[in-house]
Amino acid sequence: MLSMNNVSKVFRTDLIETHALRNFSLDVKAGEFLAVTGPSGSGKTTFLNIAGLLEPYETGSYKLDDVEVTDLSDDARSALRNQKIGFIFQSFNLMPDLNIYDNVDVPLRYRRMKYAERHKRITNALEIVGLAARMKHVPAQLSGGQQQRVAIARAIAGDPKLILADEPTGNLDSLMARQVMDLLEKINEMGTTIILVTHDPELARRAHRNVQVVDGQISDFKPYEPHAAPGVAERGSAAAGA
Amino acid sequence: MFAYYMRLALASFRRNPGLTALMVFAIALGISVCMIMLTSFRAAARNPAGERSGILFAASIDSWDPKDGYESPQTDEETGRPVAPTMLTYRDARALFDSKIPDRKAIMFKAGGIFSRADKGMEPEYISTRMTTADFFGMFETPFLFGGPWNANADAGPDPVVVLSKETNQKAFGGANSVGKTVRWHDREFRVIGVLNDWEPYPKYFDVSNGSFSDMEGAYIPFSWGQVLELGSDGNTNCWKTETIDSFKAFLNSECIWFHGWFELRTADQQRAFREFLDNYVVEQKKHGRFPRPLNNYLYDVSGWLQRNKVVGDDNRALLMMAFAFLAVCLVNTVGLLLAKFLNAAPIAGIRRALGASRRDIFWQHLAESGVVALAGGVTGGLLGLAGVYSLRAWYGRFEDAVPRILPIDPANFLLAIAIAVAAGLLAGLYPAWRIGRAAPASYLKGQ
Amino acid sequence: MEMRPILSALLRNRAGAILVAIQIAITLAIVVNAVYLTQQRVTKIGRPSGIDDQNVFSFSVTGFEKGFDFHAMVRDDMALLRQMPGIIDAAPIRQVPLSGGGSSSGFFSLPDKKGKESPANYFPTDEHGAGTLGVTLSAGGTFDPAVVEHKDQDGQVPPPQAIVSQGFATALFPDQQALGKTFYDDQGSPMKIVGIIQHMHGSWVGWDKVDRVILFPRVGPGPGTRYIVRTAPGEIDRVMTATEMALRKRDPNRVIGKLRKMSDDKNASYAGDSLVAVTLSVVTSLVLIFSALGIFGLSTFNVNTRTRQIGTRRAVGARRRDIVRYFMTENWFITTLGVFVGCLLALGVGYWLATQYQLPRLDLYYLVAGVGGLWVVGQLAAWQPSMRAAKVSPAMATRTV
Repeated sequence: MLSMNNVSKVFRTDLIETHALRNFSLDVKAGEFLAVTGPSGSGKTTFLNIAGLLEPYETGSYKLDDVEVTDLSDDARSALRNQKIGFIFQSFNLMPDLNIYDNVDVPLRYRRMKYAERHKRITNALEIVGLAARMKHVPAQLSGGQQQRVAIARAIAGDPKLILADEPTGNLDSLMARQVMDLLEKINEMGTTIILVTHDPELARRAHRNVQVVDGQISDFKPYEPHAAPGVAERGSAAAGA
Repeated sequence: MFAYYMRLALASFRRNPGLTALMVFAIALGISVCMIMLTSFRAAARNPAGERSGILFAASIDSWDPKDGYESPQTDEETGRPVAPTMLTYRDARALFDSKIPDRKAIMFKAGGIFSRADKGMEPEYISTRMTTADFFGMFETPFLFGGPWNANADAGPDPVVVLSKETNQKAFGGANSVGKTVRWHDREFRVIGVLNDWEPYPKYFDVSNGSFSDMEGAYIPFSWGQVLELGSDGNTNCWKTETIDSFKAFLNSECIWFHGWFELRTADQQRAFREFLDNYVVEQKKHGRFPRPLNNYLYDVSGWLQRNKVVGDDNRALLMMAFAFLAVCLVNTVGLLLAKFLNAAPIAGIRRALGASRRDIFWQHLAESGVVALAGGVTGGLLGLAGVYSLRAWYGRFEDAVPRILPIDPANFLLAIAIAVAAGLLAGLYPAWRIGRAAPASYLKGQ
Repeated sequence: MEMRPILSALLRNRAGAILVAIQIAITLAIVVNAVYLTQQRVTKIGRPSGIDDQNVFSFSVTGFEKGFDFHAMVRDDMALLRQMPGIIDAAPIRQVPLSGGGSSSGFFSLPDKKGKESPANYFPTDEHGAGTLGVTLSAGGTFDPAVVEHKDQDGQVPPPQAIVSQGFATALFPDQQALGKTFYDDQGSPMKIVGIIQHMHGSWVGWDKVDRVILFPRVGPGPGTRYIVRTAPGEIDRVMTATEMALRKRDPNRVIGKLRKMSDDKNASYAGDSLVAVTLSVVTSLVLIFSALGIFGLSTFNVNTRTRQIGTRRAVGARRRDIVRYFMTENWFITTLGVFVGCLLALGVGYWLATQYQLPRLDLYYLVAGVGGLWVVGQLAAWQPSMRAAKVSPAMATRTV
């Protein structure tokens, strides 16, 4: 699904060079639930941004779903982002002046879908996250956990192959956090690859595989371990030590 | 997609009503001033001759003072030569009228006198009268309410006929069909042969010598009556030569100019032939000691004539330019406000980018928002401008009757104002929309 | 004060600053030229006409019956008018000053078109003409009634006497006492100056020689003429109504044209100039307000986006007034740039206006005043935002939101 090879990212200002990622290599199989952990400043957010085609990189190659991303134009990258990737952010990032329905609608608009198709997908996604009844409400009327669930609905409405979640439970209490993680697992079971960036080891344990990033590089590499979640063992690419 | 952008724009306005109102107001002010100036400019710049503008020609021949050009130091823009007088002497008017080259021709001057009815059915009134020839009515497309014009035979007579304006007919006959009835003028009976309908061809191009927006004449009478009744001009009379003028005949034969001559020349050949005719005529007259200045003839079509007479005055142009300069200031203001607004909303644009919007999507979305602001500003400005025009008409109309013609209420100006607003607003929005499209989405999503 | 870092910080965030600078530049260009043009028009409109124009009205009177005695009509009308209550004086006159309609010709200080030459706007009237117009005679007096010609035909030879305005007298006889002197028309006919009007405007306010006026002692020929009537202050409306009624009653067999106040004629003549002055004034005020708002807005925006930076500065030791000075200095850069460019623009526009529209060149006094004024406005507009910036708490340095 995702294959990074020797990717380097450098931030330059007049005085300092920061190597956010150094020779970063990672392979993620389709259907995996990967947790990326590491201390703050380690580069995991940078990795996520690059994975999500939000930032360019200096050297290396990145293949997303078998498409080499390095030399793509902005239009092509936007299209790829739109069709293949779904984002979930720590601070939800919903549009405050649109209602829930319109919020979930946003990525579908950029796909130039027709109304009927969009409507079907939006209602479907909201049902999966359990908020179909609050379609006309605005984000301000929802709790933090509900807002994040809307963000999840927005992320899955376009049927992405990959979901990138950056500290999705960071701003939630433990009850809501658990709800969100349950949802993510459910989505993963339906076949979507999930990459979760977190510094919470409890959350990381719920993933199939953990990867640690320190100083811009992968440091620890826990091999693929069968997890006690139903349905995972049936995944075709689930070979030990992938 | 466009409808989607409209919805987003409206949602954004609701979120930030103060800033939006400020932008709309800024544009509205600039547009309102432009619209007022456009109103007066377009009224003055109007060419009422329409399609006939290219086939109607006024003759301007230089019979003036050898020591001093007419209206010097003014020169003709195209040729660089000094301009020639805009009126003709009696002799020249008659001579040009004799030419067989034009399809139609008219010579004219403005006279005056008291109109009354022999049966005392009308309050006697001094009414300005255009003395002209039969073709005038066809050439200048005067609309008739009753009856019609006289013919060339009537000019020859001259027959005692008169065409009344609608207003005069109202005063003399209560607006009824007065064809066949008579009025008294300069102690003669004149038979009404036609009554014109409403006719307001402003600027009054066939005779701008007393103001392009002065009143239309109240009656039209065959030209030759001017000589029979020994009438001088109620308009302008200019003389340069020291001559002994001790009789009306001497006056007619003098170098005083007080006539206009218009000629219909439909083909380029005719126009060329007539120009040659003018030149030949002047050369011939020089042999008799007239036309002491070098050969300097002009044949103006209607738009050239309007330009020659500076109907669109310097004031008009300067005010219009000032209005556009003011609009420029308003626009610079708007660019700043849009920039502030868009950059404030940059994080949201970043999210959209993360969700798949390309730079162009973001650009068009924000450009559309600028367009909506501009449209609102244009409509508001148009209404403000309309209010301004009404106010000016009320204020200046108290002592100047021509004001409603100089500041007409023309819906085209309103639409033009809106069009300018939208164009300007889109222009103003280009840079801010581009700026916000350019920002990398990641920079706004960081710092979570 | 650290000029260079402020400048380089500004250069990195150019867009807003450039916009304000452009706005200031255009504002200066517009305001300086607009004020200058307005001043010219206002001066032009404000010129005294020398005539008691607020208390004079005019109208035409024309006879039309056969056998109509024009001079008797005038004589009897004048007798009636001159004894009506509220009327100071009345006179017949061919055309009316300030109305836009009149006659002019060229005159010379010597016969045979020699000597000094000047055109003049001439008005045939009678011995009451000067008194009705209310002009001040600085030398000599009005016509002797015996001298006033009552013509039945338009003659070429002018009357041998004339009252002239000082403007005309100076043109023909500079540095001399013109009273008693003789001048000539282009046929060589002589006219002796029996009275000099201190100052009077003629028919055309837009004419650069509008103060060159001649009054001739001549009435007629008919069948019509105009009358001017001078009323006691405050009585003009009442008198106008009374006059029309009285004249119609005395003799209904003539056409009395619409009665028109000279003040209306004057306003109509100046209507174009008035419109220009009003428009320019409105635009000038609005443009100044916009610029002030623009600077205020940008400064506020700057402050709002840099609260963390301000807080950090305060945290490391800047005092309140250092913050104020920082923002005022930043604003100073922008304003100065804008004013500098604006000067060039103002001069350019001024030059273009002068050549295109034959206006006199821009007086530098206006430019200096404009620069100073706009600079002050620019600084004032940034004052409140700068004060607000100073109030930002040092704790902002540590906030992450």
